[in-house]
Amino acid sequence: MYGTIRVPFQGTNYVDGILYIDFFPMPSDKTSDSKDRAPHAGQTSFEQHTSKIRHFFSIPAPVKVLFDKVPVLTYPPNDLPQRAPKPARIPSLYVFIKKEDAAAGRPSYNPSCLKWQTFLNFADINHRLMPSNNHASPSGALPFLLPASKNPQEAPMPIASNKLVKYVEEQGKTVKESSSMRYEAYQSLIDHRIRDAWLYTLYLEPLNFSAVAYHLYVSPTSSNPLVRASISHQLRSAAEAELLKHTAIIDTDDIYSEADKAFEALSILLGEDSWFFGTTEPTLFDASIFAYTQLLLDDELGWQEKKLCRALRRRANLVQHRERLLVRYFGGS
Amino acid sequence: MVLELHIWGPAFGLPSIDPHCLAAIAYLQQAVPRGKWQLIATSDPALSPTNELPALRNGDIWIGGFRNIFHYVAQFSSGEWVLDAGHPDQQGADCIAFSSFVEAHGQPLIDLSLYVSSQNYTSTTRPLYNTIQPFPLPYLTPPSVRATAKQRTAHLGLSSLDVDTEDADAAQEKSIIPESLRKSKNTVSSLLAANPESNAQIRLDALATNYFEPLQKIKGKKPYLVSDSQFSSLDCLALGYLSLMLIPSLPQPWLSKTMRKKFPDLCAWTEDMIDDVFGGPVKAEDALLPNGGDSTSAEQKAYLPWTAPNNGGAVGVGSVFLSSIADSIPIVGQLRRNTRMRLHGGKTLDDELHSSSWHGIAAIGSIVAGLGLAVGYMFQQGLIPLPLGEEPVKERNASLDTFGDAGAALSVFAIQLDAEAQRQRMGESHGAPVAEVAVEAGPGGVTVTDNVA
Repeated sequence: MYGTIRVPFQGTNYVDGILYIDFFPMPSDKTSDSKDRAPHAGQTSFEQHTSKIRHFFSIPAPVKVLFDKVPVLTYPPNDLPQRAPKPARIPSLYVFIKKEDAAAGRPSYNPSCLKWQTFLNFADINHRLMPSNNHASPSGALPFLLPASKNPQEAPMPIASNKLVKYVEEQGKTVKESSSMRYEAYQSLIDHRIRDAWLYTLYLEPLNFSAVAYHLYVSPTSSNPLVRASISHQLRSAAEAELLKHTAIIDTDDIYSEADKAFEALSILLGEDSWFFGTTEPTLFDASIFAYTQLLLDDELGWQEKKLCRALRRRANLVQHRERLLVRYFGGS
Repeated sequence: MVLELHIWGPAFGLPSIDPHCLAAIAYLQQAVPRGKWQLIATSDPALSPTNELPALRNGDIWIGGFRNIFHYVAQFSSGEWVLDAGHPDQQGADCIAFSSFVEAHGQPLIDLSLYVSSQNYTSTTRPLYNTIQPFPLPYLTPPSVRATAKQRTAHLGLSSLDVDTEDADAAQEKSIIPESLRKSKNTVSSLLAANPESNAQIRLDALATNYFEPLQKIKGKKPYLVSDSQFSSLDCLALGYLSLMLIPSLPQPWLSKTMRKKFPDLCAWTEDMIDDVFGGPVKAEDALLPNGGDSTSAEQKAYLPWTAPNNGGAVGVGSVFLSSIADSIPIVGQLRRNTRMRLHGGKTLDDELHSSSWHGIAAIGSIVAGLGLAVGYMFQQGLIPLPLGEEPVKERNASLDTFGDAGAALSVFAIQLDAEAQRQRMGESHGAPVAEVAVEAGPGGVTVTDNVA
């Protein structure tokens, strides 16, 4: 029973944040008690009702005694723990990443984190990377950005990934957007076809799961085998549920052949251009495709089942597109 | 061998209620010569081994899913019955990209309009299943389709369209004011709540516009979506989705209204295509009773090669009914789905062993948990009486006993009070009546006995 207790009844004095309750001697309370319990025959039901309520709210004698003996104190709020992040002068982007990679500004290993990390690099917004996980995020999903704090007293509000474009605009930076009529359609190729294939190949291909996903998402979280088993089960069933949302069954061949066609279409769309839709500077669309191509072509991840990687490698211009972005925005491999 | 295309039955004057089935019909209608295929309104996904419709049957071979059907038809005819061949590169890429777009963004719109929206679902969509499915199945199919639709559209944050989920009782708070004295409150928000579609109008309009606009743009003035001359698989898919958006007359027609108002071109294209490909409106009787032979539908039958479905009589329907019930039981249904997936995705023996051990553990765990829950529930409901221990009836002194833990904590102070009282007694040993309070602190609480001497 900590915290403030504000009970509005007579005989209460607040003195310097300490609550005193005047002590009523027992006998007087006892008499009122007996009066409440034996209602007169003439009382209406309404009176009975209110007296019942009054009885319910009256302070029982022992509690009064307790309050008299132990004044309730309200303590000031605790300081944040020592390890809590200090307000920084540059914005921090919370992503899935290894510690040493975060310091070096290397790409994250999660596609949606990498997309926004790349986008911030396009916008030339100086930021630091913080290794994190979904539990840290206010929205339940990474990435999110903690803006630079101008005032040390005031903690800045975190910005979820869907507000990042607006944030970049507010910072006076611009990342040009293509207004092509094909934009939405090709974006849906990345968001659905390639994403589905990614989910399947990373989580549901057993070889890849134990070789890649396990080391990225499971083993850093805990060393307990039970916890690890439970987390891997959760990850796999979440991926499965996501895929089953759109189809009755998970059809492996269909997923891979659709992803292959998607890479084919994107390769035709890119053609000989440096960036998609013939823009002079890379756009958010380039960031979204790079998020997948970078990870599929990264040999350090150690893919075992390389069907999806092979489908991508066959499209030379997509591979070059990834190299270009890697060199220009992540300082080489 | 004649190919059999099994689909969900006709609705709204269209040959099927499902966009993928419509796409498959359109594809076969355009690609496969007459007489080489039959159309069967089975309306029962359990018939096909992959548990989805449309399904193509060729003798013993079942092909599920419309994309697989396209591939199979091409393969079966050695590349003769294909629609997408010979597109230039850019058109081929557009075809792939827009197919993905039509499917990924069209499905939520159809879900919202036909299934999630309570009014449309109860007054139009659910009754339709009565006409296309044999007796007990309409009790199971529409709710499960609706549940999937809700799941798919959950991320859009438009669940307010479904007024069933809101607890009607929770909204009316219990008040002590008698019924007769209350004023009926017609607030703005209550009026909006009664008609959630108008509440969400702006968002729904935006969703629909975002969907139709790219399609309108890519089509431009061409007769087909990507090509000037050639009917492609994208046209089949778009026809399936657009016709289900435009044609149904619903109590909440936000989708068709937006389409007619802002995209008259697309509407005209959709209506033309329905006439060309499906041969105008289709009646449920055409599909289900092709042998009934009344004169009006003779022309219809000639257009689409309908064959009467044979669902195995009462036994067949009963087994389907039982299997769909099994699918909807939480744990059993999950296991059944898992088996289905493993059967289809060709995994190696090794993985099979690995995953089956996992499923074994999961199954045992869930059975134990289920038993525990059941027993707990029985106890809670009083189906199994608890062995009644001697619960002492504590009528004697209700003062401190009733406070449980707090009472125990208070005993400390009570003892102190006791000591004070004793000191007092010692001080004024011979006085008027003295209140003697004896306090005993025991494990079961505190007992206070008041004796007035």
